[in-house]
Amino acid sequence: MNDERDDLLDQPIDILQTDAEGNVSRRDFLKGVGGGLASASVLAQGVTTLPVEALAESPAQGVKGKRISGMTQVTLNVNGKERAVEVEPRTTLLNTLRDKLDLTGAKKICDRGSCGGCTVMVDGKTVYSCMMLALDAVGKKITTVEGIGTPENLSPVQKAFIEHDALMCGFCTPGFVVSCTALLDKIPNPTLDDVKEACSGNICRCGTYPRVFEAAIAAAKLKGGA
Amino acid sequence: MKAFDYVNPTDVADTVAALTAAGKQGKVIAGGIDLLGELKDYIETPTTLVNLKNVAGLNQIAVNAKGITIGALVTLTEITQNPVIQKEYTALAEAAHSVATPQIRNVGTLGGNLCQRPRCWYYRDEAVVCLKKGGTKCYAVEGENQYHAILGGGPSYIIHPSDCAPALVALGATIEIAGAKGKRTVPAEKFFILPTDNVYKETVLAPGEIVTSVTIPTPAAGTRSTYVKVRHKESYDWALTGAAAVLTMTGNTIKDARIVLSGVAPIPWRSPEAEAVVKGKTYSDDLAIAAGKAALAKAKPMSKNAYKVPLAQNTVLIALKTAATGKA
Amino acid sequence: MTAWKKPEENRILGKRLPRLDAAIKVTGQAKYTYDINLPGLLYGRLISSPHAAATIKSIDTSVAEKMPGVKAVIMTAKPGDTVRFHGQELGALCAASSDLAEDALRAIKIEYQVLPHVVTEEAAMKPGAPQVLPDTPNVFGASVDDKGDVAAAFKDAAATVEGRYYMAVRTHACLETHGVTIRWDDDSHITCWASTQGVTGVQSDLQRTFNLPGENVKVITEVMGGGFGSKFGLGYEGRLCAQLAKQTKAPVKMMLTRAEDQLSAGNAPSAIGEVKMAADKEGKITAIEGRVYSSGGVGFGGVPFPYIYNNFGNIPNVKVRREQIKMNTSGARAWRAPGHPQGSWIMECALEDLAVKIGMDPLQMRIKNDGNKIRQKQWLEGAKLIGWERRNEKPGVGTLAGTGRFRRGIGCAASIWGGGGGGAGSECRVMIHKDGRVWVGIGVQDIGTGARTITRMIVAEELGLPMNAVQESIGKSELGPAAGSGGSQTSASISPVIKTAAEAAKSQLLEIVAAKKNLNVNDLDLLDGNVVVKSDASKNIAFKDACALMDKESLTGNGKFDRSLVQAGVAGAQFLEVEVDVLTGCVKVLKAVNVQDGGVILNPLTMESQMNGGVIQGLSTGLYEDRHMCSITGRMLNPNLEEYKIPGTKEMPEFIPMIYTYPEAKGVSGIAESTNIPTAPAIRNAILNATGAHVNEAPMTPARVLTALAEARKRGTNV
Repeated sequence: MNDERDDLLDQPIDILQTDAEGNVSRRDFLKGVGGGLASASVLAQGVTTLPVEALAESPAQGVKGKRISGMTQVTLNVNGKERAVEVEPRTTLLNTLRDKLDLTGAKKICDRGSCGGCTVMVDGKTVYSCMMLALDAVGKKITTVEGIGTPENLSPVQKAFIEHDALMCGFCTPGFVVSCTALLDKIPNPTLDDVKEACSGNICRCGTYPRVFEAAIAAAKLKGGA
Repeated sequence: MKAFDYVNPTDVADTVAALTAAGKQGKVIAGGIDLLGELKDYIETPTTLVNLKNVAGLNQIAVNAKGITIGALVTLTEITQNPVIQKEYTALAEAAHSVATPQIRNVGTLGGNLCQRPRCWYYRDEAVVCLKKGGTKCYAVEGENQYHAILGGGPSYIIHPSDCAPALVALGATIEIAGAKGKRTVPAEKFFILPTDNVYKETVLAPGEIVTSVTIPTPAAGTRSTYVKVRHKESYDWALTGAAAVLTMTGNTIKDARIVLSGVAPIPWRSPEAEAVVKGKTYSDDLAIAAGKAALAKAKPMSKNAYKVPLAQNTVLIALKTAATGKA
Repeated sequence: MTAWKKPEENRILGKRLPRLDAAIKVTGQAKYTYDINLPGLLYGRLISSPHAAATIKSIDTSVAEKMPGVKAVIMTAKPGDTVRFHGQELGALCAASSDLAEDALRAIKIEYQVLPHVVTEEAAMKPGAPQVLPDTPNVFGASVDDKGDVAAAFKDAAATVEGRYYMAVRTHACLETHGVTIRWDDDSHITCWASTQGVTGVQSDLQRTFNLPGENVKVITEVMGGGFGSKFGLGYEGRLCAQLAKQTKAPVKMMLTRAEDQLSAGNAPSAIGEVKMAADKEGKITAIEGRVYSSGGVGFGGVPFPYIYNNFGNIPNVKVRREQIKMNTSGARAWRAPGHPQGSWIMECALEDLAVKIGMDPLQMRIKNDGNKIRQKQWLEGAKLIGWERRNEKPGVGTLAGTGRFRRGIGCAASIWGGGGGGAGSECRVMIHKDGRVWVGIGVQDIGTGARTITRMIVAEELGLPMNAVQESIGKSELGPAAGSGGSQTSASISPVIKTAAEAAKSQLLEIVAAKKNLNVNDLDLLDGNVVVKSDASKNIAFKDACALMDKESLTGNGKFDRSLVQAGVAGAQFLEVEVDVLTGCVKVLKAVNVQDGGVILNPLTMESQMNGGVIQGLSTGLYEDRHMCSITGRMLNPNLEEYKIPGTKEMPEFIPMIYTYPEAKGVSGIAESTNIPTAPAIRNAILNATGAHVNEAPMTPARVLTALAEARKRGTNV
């Protein structure tokens, strides 16, 4: 491995935030979309809010025994944080994460549970967040790709994906990262077939599968599995 | 999805009551994989969803001397990973594992797998009012029928999409149903109904009824089972054809056999004809080929699904060989 | 004159460097167009036709417009208009949430007079079939090759074959659907995040549509989720999104749903080749005769044929008629080597059948007919890597095939792409700041090929700096015009401009250093983070200190396209090993050898990824992808990712990508198209080798393979 590559892996550069002079600035589109309630209320403008049944006083208690109708405030545990958010019964977990919490790592690709782009972990298990209602995720621990690692603090799976070029356009990548992460949590030393099985619910259109396989197995070693 | 109310009962009685109150506008949701797909495509537009997941006691697997009882909320992943099911009820473990993808098996339930609606691409097309949706014709008859029924079809030619269903029918399971009038139990084989009985539904469930559990009797000594699923794509696909075979063997002799096909008919298709061919005989590949032929003898393929006849014959062969010899 | 350094002299170029945007992509931080959330964002949806052919009788949007959260409805269709395919765009609306937009969509009432349609090639070609377009017959656009004496050649031939080879329509199915997020910053300024293969094209479309000066339109595509040829220009959805945003004075996100994307946002034309081919006893092709049809729906198709082994006119006797077919389906768009996978399918299948007929090794027959010198060597390299000698000597008969349920075989086919040499028109600036910062800006988008990474690599190489000393900015129209990513042209179009911009910046810096330090500029170079004084290393100056010598705050080098840095036309060869389950007709590809030339290699790591991707898309074409149309309803039956089948992890073979390099390579060339062309016929030929079954229709589904196996049995093959 040469020096440039070491530098690159040690210091991921915030590439989306440079202006024409090379100065680093915040992403302007995040302004005012800080998260949680603030963004939800901004985005819910114009939405008729129907009466809410006795959930507001203790949203974290979950939804047991209740009839829920119209826009309702609930609390979701996402990446270790309690996030209050307004949803309708029909709002999917995916739309909630993406549109209300600005957690856009999980992608909307097929929106029918066929492609894996929206994969998140719920209580440690991979699920398609497009095929789960937000209400069904109340009281559970939701982990999105953002909760697995950050550019400054990459997880072993993420590091291995970078090093093995396990992505091209990158749109399916968060889903594969979540599937591989869940796999390594369960099987520290996976075989190639284990990786194929764990990622069999994820589709890549650019064709990076072989590199994903390499990355998942390398990640196990990075994690100290082998 | 059209907006709906969401009801969260915590016991079976309240669930049934909520469903009964909602009438035709009510749907029960467990894993939700199949239902949300229907809702997103506006195939169903219920005003009330009754959540089954908070109902106590439906997510257990109980084993005793008589057999195994699997709650309706047990996920396909849990079935796949259960050592008793893997060993004693192999066909079910294999069937559950063959369903869809890890993400779907992690939330998809046994009850949901049995009650899922057809995947027919006409049925799933919002703009097509087919026979099953109150229309006057089954579009598969003159249309694109490569994935449709070759047995038991008419007037609708859907195929039943479940993989667990043929395994359960083959294993002689019974299904416990709860409704406003209390509980009833039906053999898995009688749970599924042909379009000639009722074109609008695929099971005996009456409005307000739900599946609460499935019980499989302990198999006789020497019983081996398997579920073979042929699919175009190994990663996530529906069965082109499938076969569950449950054989009770003495040495190489097949004392008893139950053979149930998937991917060929509007219900899991039990084949007494194939069973008759193998019962009491010593296993050989030729015997299995003859069984496959017998199973498909009455097949009536349409314009684009004739390939399913040899394919299903061969699927029976592979299933019998696997069950009898442990090798495919 | 400029030139690429020899590979061994490079410090950065030619090295296996991971892509720069990988960290933000693997952590979910990368913001794609679909991910742009803005305060007050509205969600747009298309209104489209459920019918394949119909006249609009009436349109009523009044209910929808009054619904809660609905902000605007715009119809472009009007009563009396004719719709010509399922999914044809008629209008759009926007609302405060995606759920509310969905509600509104279903409240739009449009009445139609349904008209007869044709959605299959056979139906469209029938005499008296309903005509799809008023001014074009359903079979149109004939072009003819007619040379030599075909009849005589067939009479004299050692062997002839005749076949009908078919390839289905495929949809691009980019994972990020087509779409934009648009904000009007004021009455005359637009910011547009676009999922596009051409930032510059989207900018000029917006500019033209709204009659704005170019600088008022800012288009941003820093990352995008796949295009494959289908994402050029603003598109209907982009235009309507901009109009909705203007009307509502709010930002609008308009991403197509998966179904909409499958229905109207890109497909590759079908191909039908009814061809006859002859060869002499040496295996040289002597004559081709036939008809080739392709359908691009209401748009255009076109398949090159005769292909590859014609070597620009080598085959002496040719009589081929190519025609296109109109159908009531959405218009085709370019897809990774437009028409070529189809042309390759027809040619490579027919050639294989001819080799079998003559009893000749099909690889030897290819070598005999192949006029490409590079591929002549690649055939041998690939044969070695796959172990060509293991193949069954006769179709279906051999050790590799065996006699059991699973039969193995090996097949091959040629990669070829005449383009990939890039073109002028891209601008690039490299700035060196007084404080030592280096910045490179080029408007080009990175569609997943690694354009961003090679941009920085080229500059770091030229300036003798480590990768992290350079900061690039790409994918923004404000950085100037840049090449669209199509035809394997991106790398070749941008790399000369980036290199010459870096060279210009470098020479300015060296001039300054020479002047300030009283050194001869010809004695200076940039290397390892220093200004190197070649004659006296003790006078070397650290790069940062050299920059501090500038009087101004920064200097800028501008690039220009230089054709001597690129080359067009790449060659390759693929060899695939497959296993056929003769009981089920299921085919598994076990191994894929992909030998590919790319001229001067910039980054082998990302190039290999792209090569694997080409094979995977080819495998998908060969075995899985098929747009199913219903001849009764005229509707697409599988506008999803469930019944529109794309392979997953378990369909993947072992990949052996081999980058073929040679000292004469002087220029950069794109490889995307080439790697995608031959895979499907190579699989088909491997199936033939494994089983003796000729599967002449793609995708090669279990149904088709079972049918071909049954025919092989009838011919006496033991399979």
